[in-house]
Amino acid sequence: MEIVFSADQLATVQELVSRYPAGKQKSALLPVLHLAQQHFGGWLDVPVMDYVASLLTLDPIEVYEVASFYSMYNLKPVGRYVFEVCQTGPCMINGSDDIIDYIKQKLNINVGETTADGMFTLKTVECLGACGYAPMMQLGKHYKEHLTKEKVDAIIAECRTKAN
Amino acid sequence: MGKKLLLEKAEVPGIKGYEVYRREGGYRSVEKALKMAEAEVVEEVKKSGLRGRGGAGFPTGLKWSFIAKPEGVPRHLVVNADESEPGTFKDRYLMEFIPHLLLEGMIVSSYALGSNDSYIYIRGEYDWIADILQEAIEEAKQNGWLGNNILGSNFSCNIYVHRGAGAYICGEETALIESLEGKRGNPRIKPPFPAVKGVWDRPTVVNNVETIAAVVPIINDGGEEYSKIGVGKSTGTKLISACGNINKPGVYEIDMTISVEEFIYSDEWCGGIANGKKLKACIPGGSSVPILPANLLLTTAKGEKRLMNYESLSDGGFATGSMMGSGGFIVLDEDQCVVKHTYTLARFYRHESCGQCSPCREGTGWMEKILLNIEKGRGKMSDIDLLWDIQRKIEGNTICPLGDAAAWPVAAAIRHFRDEFEWHVLNPEESQRRNYGLAGYAEPLAIATV
Ligand SMILES: Cc1cc2nc3c(=O)[nH]c(=O)nc-3n(C[C@H](O)[C@H](O)[C@H](O)COP(=O)(O)O)c2cc1C
Ligand code: SF4
Ligand code: FES
Repeated sequence: MEIVFSADQLATVQELVSRYPAGKQKSALLPVLHLAQQHFGGWLDVPVMDYVASLLTLDPIEVYEVASFYSMYNLKPVGRYVFEVCQTGPCMINGSDDIIDYIKQKLNINVGETTADGMFTLKTVECLGACGYAPMMQLGKHYKEHLTKEKVDAIIAECRTKAN
Repeated sequence: MGKKLLLEKAEVPGIKGYEVYRREGGYRSVEKALKMAEAEVVEEVKKSGLRGRGGAGFPTGLKWSFIAKPEGVPRHLVVNADESEPGTFKDRYLMEFIPHLLLEGMIVSSYALGSNDSYIYIRGEYDWIADILQEAIEEAKQNGWLGNNILGSNFSCNIYVHRGAGAYICGEETALIESLEGKRGNPRIKPPFPAVKGVWDRPTVVNNVETIAAVVPIINDGGEEYSKIGVGKSTGTKLISACGNINKPGVYEIDMTISVEEFIYSDEWCGGIANGKKLKACIPGGSSVPILPANLLLTTAKGEKRLMNYESLSDGGFATGSMMGSGGFIVLDEDQCVVKHTYTLARFYRHESCGQCSPCREGTGWMEKILLNIEKGRGKMSDIDLLWDIQRKIEGNTICPLGDAAAWPVAAAIRHFRDEFEWHVLNPEESQRRNYGLAGYAEPLAIATV
């Protein structure tokens, strides 16, 4: 995959940079990294980070240290669909452990692993601000809340259909 | 039925969009404020008694009056929408269902502070809410509430959404500022305070989403009217996000005169404990504040009914009280294990420590490990004292308050539930099969009649 943004994406980068004062283009780093992760395969490989550094005229190390600090940036490849299940107190008392176990069994992977077909990755995360709708997980842009085994089944099936 | 100021209209169909919001009286406070002097707006906020809704409860008007005004240097308002304290999901509700209320509050506040470019720092996971806000910003722009010379005044204002990327520490205001500058979220040493040297070294005010939204009714009705709601220094209304083992989890706007008992058991709010179980404990203000057993939660040590406000929730200090914090209300029923719950919180703080100070970086890791050992039946009696010792060495010895936030939950769990920790140590096998339940704790008051 060639690591360059399309003209549209470059326009988005320009718009992001314009939100901050002149000379403070580094402020656009977090949003541009989100964009890069989304468009270059769901994770930030070193050449991707170097490309972002060149776009924002930063030293590559400035990008690496940021990418490694924030939990939403993946520094390793992930599956097409990433299940990020919350396991903090309020979700735990509403049964998140059982949901995590069920997903493990259903996908036959452990936390932190990706299925052999590259379709699903299972991660555990800390409180996502949905404690009243527990148990829950993040799937891409959206939250899946009030999870049950049946709901997990439906989500997996839906992902499989979408992928075909 | 308490008075609602923020969420009164949140369920009006279509209120997310500009048309309905405006028809329902939206943006009136901007019309009013722009005819006032900046200092008069600040004065109204001071009069209202509004206290920051992000957790610390610092008076907002006072905070605003600290902003430095060096000649020729731009100032900035930054709204803290990082909302990552376990148990807290109120700002999300407000932004998701009534986004224009936040924008309206921001325009008025930006005017008062002299900020022409204001930012919303939103936690990265609230991706779809960032889109909702962006859409609302476009609508506000098209209708002349943002941009140059708003309503023909000389005041110009832009609002930008800035998404974080997963880091609780970025809710701390100086870490948030670092993150807004495109760096790791390492809190800064204060002073200098953001009001003097904030984002890009410019004077900056960071306020919580709910705080800024409350500026709208304050300007509409006047600071004095606002201050009449509530009691003492707890003026106005407060959003509470209630979760855990209750019948009706959700976001509620309360006026701060109701009792904790009413809040938990009345159908207007939490609707009682789920599955007919008994109340065991509660963390009333987000994961960082002390957990209280049922008896101390419902009544203060003096035997008075505890109320849902700043003063009453903290009555008794940490010995017998807790805090209002962010309003994240976590309820535990008789089947919950305090050791395990505390372990998940310790894990959370270890995960979120930025690593700059050794007491926080090392201490949070130790606490997590020891708690896991106790929870898994591998603990020793001396571990309980060790935990106590570690939390004491973290508290007050770090750059930012995350250290305290990690220490307090552990301290309170041991303070009030020591027998449960001891039971785990003494019954390593049984503790793997069943929870301790309510044994040993004061029987929760027989309530249900509110
Ligand atoms: C570790 C930590 C996390 C915090 N997270 C948040 C948060 O998510 N949202 C928030 O508004 N304030 C948070 N705060 C408080 C902010 O530092 C700051 O006090 C607040 O945004 C000020 O706004 P207010 O005066 O309107 O409450 C946090 C503080 C600490 C120490
Ligand atoms: S207390 Fe913890 S989170 Fe705060 S600056 Fe120190 S190490 Fe970082
Ligand atoms: S604890 Fe899971 S969303 Fe808050």
